Parts: sequence; C-alpha cells; structure tokens
Amino acid sequence: MKLSRRDYIKANAVAVAAGVAGMTAPSAASNLLTESSKTALTWSKAPCRFCGTGCSVMVGTKEGKVVATHGDVKAEVNRGLNCVKGYFLSKIMYGKDRLKTPLLRMKDGKYHKEGEFTPVSWDVAFDTMADKFKSAIKAKGPTSVGMFGSGQWTVWEGYAASKLMKAGFASNNIDPNARHCMASAVGGFMRTFGIDEPMGCYDDIEATDTFVLWGSNMAEMHPILWTRVTDRRLSAPDTTKVAVLSTYEHRCYDLADIPMIFTPQTDLAILNFIANYIIQNDKVNQNFVSKHVNFRRGNDDIGYGLRPEHELQKKAKNADKAGGSSEMSFEEFKTFVADYTVEKVSKLSGVSEKHLVELAELYADPDRKVVSFWTMGVNQHTRGVWCNNLIYNIHLLVGKISTPGNSPFSLTGQPSACGTAREVGTFSHRLPADMVVKNPKHRAIAEKIWKIPAGVIPPKPGFHAVLQNRMLKDGKLNAYWVMCNNNMQAAPNLNEEGYPGYRNPENFIVVSDPYPTVTAEAADLILPTAMWVEKEGAYGNAERRTQFWHQLVEAPGEARSDLWQLMEFSKRFTTDEVWPADVLKENPEYKGKTLYDVLYKNGSVDKYPLEQTHKDYSNQESSDFGFYVQKGLFEEYAAFGRGHAHDLAPFDTYHKERGLRWPVVDGKETKWRFKEGSDPYAKPGSDYDFYGKPDGRAIIFALPYEPAAESPDEEYDLWLSTGRVLEHWHSGSMTQRVPELYKAFPDAVVFMHPDDAGKRGLRRGQEVKIISRRGEMVTRVETRGRNKPPKGLVFVPWFDASQLINKVTLDATDPLSKQTDFKKCAVKIVATGRA
Amino acid sequence: MLTPFKKLWGFVCRIWSSANRPAKHLSIGFLTIGGFVAGVMFWGGFNTALEYTNTEEFCVSCHEMGDNVFVELKPTIHYSNRSGVRATCPDCHVPHNWTDKISRKMQASKEVWGKLFGTINTREKFQAERRRLAGHEWDRLKANNSLECRNCHSTESMDITVQSTRAAEAHQAFLFTGEKTCIDCHKGIAHELPDMTGVEGWE
Amino acid sequence: MKRFLIHITTTIGLLALASTAAFSDGAATLRQGEPIASEPQAPKITKVENNDVKRVRNYPEQPPTIPHKTRDYEISLNANKCMSCHARTRTGESQAPMVSVTHYMDRDNQVLATVSPRRYFCNQCHVTQVTAPPLVENEFTDVENIIKGE
Repeated sequence: MKLSRRDYIKANAVAVAAGVAGMTAPSAASNLLTESSKTALTWSKAPCRFCGTGCSVMVGTKEGKVVATHGDVKAEVNRGLNCVKGYFLSKIMYGKDRLKTPLLRMKDGKYHKEGEFTPVSWDVAFDTMADKFKSAIKAKGPTSVGMFGSGQWTVWEGYAASKLMKAGFASNNIDPNARHCMASAVGGFMRTFGIDEPMGCYDDIEATDTFVLWGSNMAEMHPILWTRVTDRRLSAPDTTKVAVLSTYEHRCYDLADIPMIFTPQTDLAILNFIANYIIQNDKVNQNFVSKHVNFRRGNDDIGYGLRPEHELQKKAKNADKAGGSSEMSFEEFKTFVADYTVEKVSKLSGVSEKHLVELAELYADPDRKVVSFWTMGVNQHTRGVWCNNLIYNIHLLVGKISTPGNSPFSLTGQPSACGTAREVGTFSHRLPADMVVKNPKHRAIAEKIWKIPAGVIPPKPGFHAVLQNRMLKDGKLNAYWVMCNNNMQAAPNLNEEGYPGYRNPENFIVVSDPYPTVTAEAADLILPTAMWVEKEGAYGNAERRTQFWHQLVEAPGEARSDLWQLMEFSKRFTTDEVWPADVLKENPEYKGKTLYDVLYKNGSVDKYPLEQTHKDYSNQESSDFGFYVQKGLFEEYAAFGRGHAHDLAPFDTYHKERGLRWPVVDGKETKWRFKEGSDPYAKPGSDYDFYGKPDGRAIIFALPYEPAAESPDEEYDLWLSTGRVLEHWHSGSMTQRVPELYKAFPDAVVFMHPDDAGKRGLRRGQEVKIISRRGEMVTRVETRGRNKPPKGLVFVPWFDASQLINKVTLDATDPLSKQTDFKKCAVKIVATGRA
Repeated sequence: MLTPFKKLWGFVCRIWSSANRPAKHLSIGFLTIGGFVAGVMFWGGFNTALEYTNTEEFCVSCHEMGDNVFVELKPTIHYSNRSGVRATCPDCHVPHNWTDKISRKMQASKEVWGKLFGTINTREKFQAERRRLAGHEWDRLKANNSLECRNCHSTESMDITVQSTRAAEAHQAFLFTGEKTCIDCHKGIAHELPDMTGVEGWE
Repeated sequence: MKRFLIHITTTIGLLALASTAAFSDGAATLRQGEPIASEPQAPKITKVENNDVKRVRNYPEQPPTIPHKTRDYEISLNANKCMSCHARTRTGESQAPMVSVTHYMDRDNQVLATVSPRRYFCNQCHVTQVTAPPLVENEFTDVENIIKGE
C-alpha cells in the first residue's frame, strides 16, 4: 500500500491540526490504513473472460466494485499466471461508455430505421422487438427470424437461446460466432471420430517431448498454454523440440527448433507428405491401425462455400456433396499419398526438404511423443475440415493419440466455444450433446427433455453465420438478434454482405452488448448488457473443463444479462403465435401458453427454489424470476449428456471445484478419452475405443491438396492474412477500453516485408490503402515488430474498430464446416498520399 | 602435360630478361614519371578493389550475408532511425586504420574459403556457427575498445541530457569511467543473438 | 466526435430523460464518430514512452508496464535481453528492478535457482506504453479511494 505525496501531506496536516486541538485523530488519518474491516477484500474465483485457454482468476471486490484480479494459484490450467489481458480484467467493465439503457432508433417519437438512437424503457424495447419478430414470422414463417450468438455466452445463456429459437420460435436460424472460429474443428472431430472435442487435455504439455504448431500463434493467442510449452521446452532442452508452421513469422518462432514458413494453403500437401513419409519409411503402427482405424476417400473438388452463382461454385464438381466419402484400403491410401513426395511438396510449400523430413520424423519416430496444436490457421481455411482430418491421419497412422503426451489438440479461440457453442449445440444444425436437427431421433430426444410436443423443432438446418448475413442482405431474414459478439466487425466481406444486410430497410436488427460496438451502431435497437462477473456464469474451455462463477457485482444502470433478456423476451410470445398450427391442434394443452411458460417455467428449469442460490452472492436473474434459473437450466441441459459420454457433474460441484473435465463419471473427471483405463466409456478389452463411430474405429481420410479460393495475381499481388494480437481480445470492445492495453497496441497496422514495402515505394508508418475486389481499408505500414511476413504476404489484425479489415476479406467458407477463411485473399497496397 | 608450364616459364624468362636490361630508347624522366604513374595506377587499382570489398553491396552479394545478418539489420536502429544516418556493414566490421584493415582482409580470405565450400550456405548452418562468428566480432571490439562503435559514437559528443535516464546513468557509471567498453553492454543491437549461455552479463 | 452521453434517472420504473444526446452514425465510440461505411485517416504510429518513470499500478498484482523502449530487445531460445538488466544478479550493475520473487517459482510454487522457464517470455505480461491518449476513459476505481470514501 502506498500513499501519494498529496495524501501524505493531507494526513500530516490532519495530525498536526489534531495535535493542536489536543485530541487523537482516528487511526486512518494518522498513518497507513491497516484496519482489517477496511482493507479486507472479498475474493472469489471466475474463469477469465477472454480466450479458450480457460485460466481461472481470483477477483477481488470491495463495496460492489471489482478492484483487483490475479491468476488463481489453485487452478490446474494456469497455476497463478495470467497473460497481460487477464491481468487487466479488473478494468474491462468500467469503460466510461458502458450502455445503461436500451436505445431505439426513433424519429418523431417512434421507431424508424433511419432514426436516431434514443433511450427507451425495456418495455418499449421488448414490445417493439416482439412486434417485429411476430410480423416477420406471420409474413414469411419462422425462417425469417434469427439469432447470432456466441462462444462467449455462458452455458445457460446459450442453452436458453437455443431453446428460445429451436423450441420457441421453431426456427433453426441460430448460429454462434464460433462458426467463424471452431466449426472446422467440429467438422474434423465429427468426421474422424464421430464425437466432438479433444481426446487429450493440457496435461499432455508436461507429458510430451514434441510440440508441432500448425497455424497457431499460441504465444499471443493462448499465452498461458504457451507458458506451459515454454516451461516444458526450456526445462528439458536436450529432449524436447518445438516445430512451428505458419504463413508468416510470429512470436512462437522465438521458441522454435524447427521454424517453417509455408505458402498459404500448402499445409494440406505438407500433411499428406508426412503421411507418405511415415508409410514409405515403414513407421506405420500396424497393430494400432489394423485394430482401430478405417480408411476412406473423401470427395474432392468441393467448392468454396461462396454464393451459388459464383463462378467457383458452378465449376466445383462436388459442391453439393462435399461431405461424401467412400471406403478404401490401406494400400489404396498408400498410393494416394505416394504422390506427395518431399521434392514436390518442398517446391509447392517453400519449406526446405531438410525441414520437411525433420518434421515428418518427429511424428514417425516411435520413441517420440507428439502434441500437435492448431487454431485458426487450420480452422479458418476453405479446406479446414480436411486439414483437421489430415492432422488426425498422421497421429492415427503412428498411434500417437489418447495417451499422455500424444495428442492432436485443437485449441479453441473463445472462452466457451466448447462449453456453450459446441456442447450446448447453438449451431444452426445442432442440438445438445453432439446431436443434430436432421436426425428425427435426436429431435425426439430434445423435444422430450424440453417437454415440448413432437414436431416443433424443424428438421432442416437453419442459416449458418455467413448465410445469415447473405439472407439479411437478400431480405429473407428480417428480424435478427445479435448477442455477445461484434459480428459487423468480425464477419467477412462487410461491404458486400454484412453492412447492406443490417441496413436493409426490410430488416430489424437487435444488438445486445455492454458497449456501443460497430455492430451496435449498425443495429436498430441496442440492449444494454451485463457482462462477465455481473452475472452468474459457466464456461467450458478447450480441454473439456467446465468452470463456474458467481455474480460478484451489479451491472450498471439498467443493463441486464443475455439470460435475463432471453427469458424476459419469451414472455411476449404465446405458442399460438409461433408454433406450427398442426402441432398445437394435436397438443391443445399448450395452446395460449407463453414461451416463457413452456420453455422456462416448465417444471424442470424452475425446479430449484431461490433459497438454493448462494447467500453471499446476488443473482439478478433468479431474484427476478423467482427460482434458481441457472441451476434449473444447467440440470435440464445436463440430462442430454449424462450417460452419453458427455456427463457433467452436479451443478453445485462446479461452484466448489476449479472446473472439471467431462465426461465426469462417478465424480471423476476424464483426462484422456478413447483409451481404456482413462476413459470410462472405452469398452473393456478394447485398448482404444473410438466409440463415436459405430464400429469403434476412427477414420483416416484420403484428401488432396486443392488451391485457395483466391490467390494473388498481377493486380492483387499480395496474400492477406488476418488475426489477433496478444493485447486485444477479438474485436477489442473490452480491451480497447483498458487504457494500458490500448497503449500497448493502440491501432491496427499492416505488417509487411521491408522489401515488399520498398518495392512499392512505401516505408514504415506511411498511410496506405489495402484494396481487394470487395473493398478497401486505410492503415499504416509496419515493417518491423512482432510479425515478420515473408515477401508476398501481409498481416492485418482485426481488433481495431476504426480499421475494419473485413471490408476487404472474402466470404469464402469451408463447404463442410461453413467457416470463413480469414487467412487468405488477394489484395494490393497503395499509398494514400497523405501524411 | 608439362607443355603449358614450359610455355609459361619461357614467357616469364623472356619478360625478365628484357626487363633486366637497361632501357635503350626511353628517357630517365619518362621512366621515372611513367613508373610513378604506373605505381599510382597499380596502387589505385588495388585500393579500388579493396575499397569495393568494403561496401555493403559487396557484402550482401553473398546470400549468406544477405539472407542472414543483413535482413536482421534492417529493422534495427542501425539501419532505420530518425535521421537516416545509418551504419553499413563495413562501418562496424572493417577497421578504418590501414594496417588493421589489411590484417582483417587477410583473415577474410578464410571467409572466401568458407564461401567456396558452403560452410554456412544455409540458415541452419549459419545458426550453428553463430556463436563462434559473433564471438570473433565481440573479441575484436573488446580488444580495440569498441573502436568501430566509437568512430561514430564519441563519448565526448554524447549529450547525456537527451539520453533516457537509464542510458545516461549507465554511461556515466561504466562508459565514461572506462570500466566498460561499448560492446560489453550492446551485444546484439544490430543482429540477432547467438545462444548467450555463459556470456558475461547475460546470466 | 459526437460525444455519447446518457444520464438516466429512473423513478418508479419510468424513464426520465435528464440530458440525452441522440446519435446514430458514429455510435461506435471507438470509431470516434466515423460512420462504418467511410474510412477515417489512420492514426500515426506513435512513440513508446521512454522516460523510465515507474507508473502506479492499479492493484498490487498488476504486472508493471514497461517505462522504456524495448525495440530490438531479443527474447528467444538464444537470449533474453530483459534479464540482462532485471535478473537478480544483474540488478547491482543495472540498478533495474529485480523481477519479482514469484518469477522464481515453478508450477508447484517451488522456488528455483533462477527464473522459472514459465516466465521466460516477459512480453506475455509486460508491455510498453505509447504516448497516445486512450480513446475511451476508464472508470475503474482504485481500492484506496473506495476505502477512504473518496
């Protein structure tokens, strides 16, 4: 504790005055404050608000305010450490421009699409909104309403939202921003293993001796996992090795034993080369492969997820059957990959033959354990699912999987991409616990648990993220609610799709956010939202760890949590207004009930009384609705996964533990799935059991190298890759409001090779336009610093609200996962001519 | 087999026998002036060639230099800075004093050997040798009291009032007292560092 | 820049608008009034503060921000430039603050002979600060102000 000079003078002055008057001053006035009732802080645990690592932090509060945060020493994940963002969590809720009241675009006292944002009450906000949703449904049916959610939603927010859309509005048009982030990883898991999420856990880091990074800048994006990798690598310098692959040099290269830069998209060829190397050098784990693996040939030439009228889509042979595959033998697979020789792949990728062989040897060497890490470089890829499949191929060929230190490990970007988006199934095609809307049995299970009549959940998948923006633009999606994300800034091709979509006069756009973001500005109604520890929450991190926190402070003004907003909004609809008439006719007992009654006050969500909430913490939603909302939602949701290899522990357990990794069976978490002995679901005698597939075998897929959707040409002569920086989380709506983080990395820049700059007559600091076929953005040249692109590629981070790089990016997606490729498009760079 | 050598020997003998005879037709003045001019030309040519090897253009014409140390130099303060005054390779790596320069050049013949045999023709080979190579430069600069640094950075001209506090303090405590020389603290300011295990000041 | 100011007084659930500046284009504070469809001039690349003056921490656990330039400071497998001043044994000569004792502890809180490798990359927690003023004010309150009732 420290007194400022001013405080010191003040304290002395009081003491002198007190002395003169002959009385004793209260202790605080004479010296440092020591009285425990004043100095004591209330400490509670919470997971960090930012990335998918899932660090636990201790949050100190005093008189209703967060006053300090630090890394939780009891947490397995981070053991007392935080990254720079995590250390400044205390300040993210206190930006001066917090939204404290709903704001509606109004002209002459009523809603108008071109009106000015005007403060309104929650009632006016919800009534206007309900009116728009109802008229859309009435005019064009349930596919005309939609919701765009988040991997930053708490588990129960995602669950309540999914219920509201799928069981309430009978619409599958709900998708999370995790579509931009993890969809290819999900696709990869489902295709290879038939069940989502990593088999291993972070304990793999301390157990392995080899790390291979496939398009993941962990040093900046998963800093605390990087501290664990660094710890392992530097503690055992003679035995451990780090190989880093990317399309440009970044901070991970500071720790790289084998640094490799490859030409964008050629990762597919490199992965096939490794499979070829393993086979050619007789390093296949025959015992493992013969017992636990099947081989299949995936359809090729699958297109680029562009609008169907796009030339590339029309040209693609298998655009409409992208997910198809056929059986093949090991011998056929061997022939398939034989084409990927070291000479050919080295030429294609630009990685030296020596490095390619060294890399392949890391996997092939039976005496090495290997962890492969990947994130957006692999997932944000027009062949993202393939890329995931190909990584599993090489781990499966050598049997390096599901045991400590042997782990193909897909890292998540968001704090609850796994826990909420994936496990709860807030995607347009999914239901909880890996179930899908297409499957009638799955719908029946959901309808039973949700206590709604059969036939409410539509069988057809809804609009996915990129399609939602296209449908908004085309006027087919008319009432739209965006929660807990900043998609105007985040989604690709803002100029041609996102912005025209939101501002389409036919549409009514609602944005719930704590701050006035770019997306909020593009909306018609802004709802002020409680964030992080202003509500009770649960997140699930990248290693299947579910973590809870209590509400620690009150939200400012009239800001309310997403959960409260969802449930409160549901009160404004009756089943007659939204459910199919035939379903109601067959189930008259549901007629006239509100969605709030059938979805939340349904006997299971409202099962736990208010008294069960913790007496030391407030719980705004529960106090308002009169029952323990979070517990009811969680327990109903957990019913989906218990007994189906997605078991979650009882609700109360999570408030005590620093998280547990599912499946939690008999109170015990699971560290390595699919391995007999460590996974209770692996059948006895199986050794390995990939039980997501009917025959317990994982699949090795034959998938070729195919070029990117857009590559540099004579006019647009540079690759553009986009991504994040350490100091800012996603679109910067929280971190740009923390002065220390802002001042650490204030504005976006374009990182480029000095020779590329020189060739164009540009220099560091000069203002330039980045121009693509879709739009342009103004920024400044950076030729030094943390990212060092090779000649021919530039990198621009997307955190900056004033520099919207997604005006430039292409909305090409993986045809399988529908995830955008934010890492590849063609641009040119010219000087603006201004100083 | 021996024919070329015999021919060459014959040619050398003929030249010498004519050179060994006193001049029949040329004046002493011509010989004196001509000899001087020829000497100047020879010396000029030698020096020109020598000076050419002292240009950055010559240094980076070998990809070993261009792809490794030169790209590393570019983002640093010694290449890119406020006033645009910058150091070229020879500014730091070739002594300005003539005898030292010649002796450094003689050492460089070993580098030519290395070039011919590809001792560091890949990034990995270069990295493997980096500690040894950097060590030579540190030793040289240590031995000559960081002469090549001081060619530009004279202590007399240093205005500590415009330096950052920590730089001003360190310079007063160590540089002006002669306790340390530039290279003691400023390793790795123009290029990436080698493995610094065991290097003094880097524990 | 259109300032976005909302003062709300709520009385019995009713909204009384004290002073309200309505806005539409330019609502996104961080864009400083620039509409989404247009492109503002890009701010200049600003200088890093280099005055070596310690900054007050927001709370004791906050990692101190770096009060000096770190240009060309290498932290890699080969070398850690920061530690050539901030390591325990170097602070005598450098007079730089020693890295805190927590930096000597491993994952299990055992104190090691030298800095723990998990803390090797200083720049994951410690950052320099540019001179540019923040875009949005932050109303975080220092705990001392709370307990002193200020």
